[in-house]
Amino acid sequence: MVMLRGFLVLSAFFVFGELLRLLLALPISGGVLGMILLTVVLMARGTVSDSLAAASESLISVLVLLIMPGVVGVFFLGDAFDGQWLAVGVALVVGTFLSVLTTLWLMSRFTRPPTGKRSRE
Amino acid sequence: MSDQLWGWSSTLVTLADSPVLAIALTLGAFQTGRWVFHRLGSPIWAPPVLLSAMVLSALLALLAIDFRDYRSGAQWLTVLLGPATVALAVPLYQQMHHIRALWRPILCTLPLAATLAAVYAIVIAGLLGASPQVLASLAPKSVTAPIAIGITAQLGGSVSLMMGGLLITGVMATLFVEVLARSLAVSDERVLGFALGLNGHAIGTARAFDLGPTAGAFASLGMGLTGVFTALILPLAFRLLGAWTGG
Repeated sequence: MVMLRGFLVLSAFFVFGELLRLLLALPISGGVLGMILLTVVLMARGTVSDSLAAASESLISVLVLLIMPGVVGVFFLGDAFDGQWLAVGVALVVGTFLSVLTTLWLMSRFTRPPTGKRSRE
Repeated sequence: MSDQLWGWSSTLVTLADSPVLAIALTLGAFQTGRWVFHRLGSPIWAPPVLLSAMVLSALLALLAIDFRDYRSGAQWLTVLLGPATVALAVPLYQQMHHIRALWRPILCTLPLAATLAAVYAIVIAGLLGASPQVLASLAPKSVTAPIAIGITAQLGGSVSLMMGGLLITGVMATLFVEVLARSLAVSDERVLGFALGLNGHAIGTARAFDLGPTAGAFASLGMGLTGVFTALILPLAFRLLGAWTGG
């Protein structure tokens, strides 16, 4: 019962996010809008209720299950993207290499070493 | 014999009409994938989601179930993605206090790095002649799956192609963070964690928790902030770009 109360909160924020998206014709999914709204509410309240924590934890732990129907579709694409696989592969590998390089470079440029304890090797 | 075979296949067709079969198959593949992952010793290159998807596609092929039939049944599961996306607010809120410790580097890095993660892929694929649909599928490649599905739907990409790209990006980001951290001499757990979450979404974050709780916390933060930032910026950028190039 406790978890269901948390699930009600999550569903309500999702519905509210969808409502915002439709009413304001925003190009952002209702789930993301609901997530942003809930983050703002939690920051304003400064606490997470047990029921909400339980519901979100259990939903997040089965996220892999929920995205599986989308993932498995990659094996059934057939010839829909024939001739573009080289572009896809190079963009993913080289693009990810460059973005990791950028992130590490920017972050370590602006971060001072942690005070107190040294991080482990 | 052939009567029996006919009976079996028509029974399957009747079952396939109800979402129960699709849900049971997904659950079974999910558990099998996790089991195989642990048996293999939790390898970085084969995250549970990839193993489960391989089991599931093998099951569908073996039982001769049409992918479209499976997908319409599995929609009952996909409906939960909305509330699950909202649920990401809880860990994001719980990691938010780490921003205070490192707000300057995060503020300087996140917008630029999250934008470039999309831009690098779009520019490279565009130069190699990828279609607009492929570009839209690659753009959210560093965003956590539930948020990325929403973005792809808005951009007009293919969810399945995006998911494949997401998997490869997660594995590659984990690999490159390890290699580049060594050659750039970065050993700060906070920096490594943030880079893993920002570029490698859930797969990178899982790896960051192996490094330690601090790296895990900063990876969750990086993943959440990248997801929100990209979800807000990318659809608007595509809309502007479309209006501009479309005349």
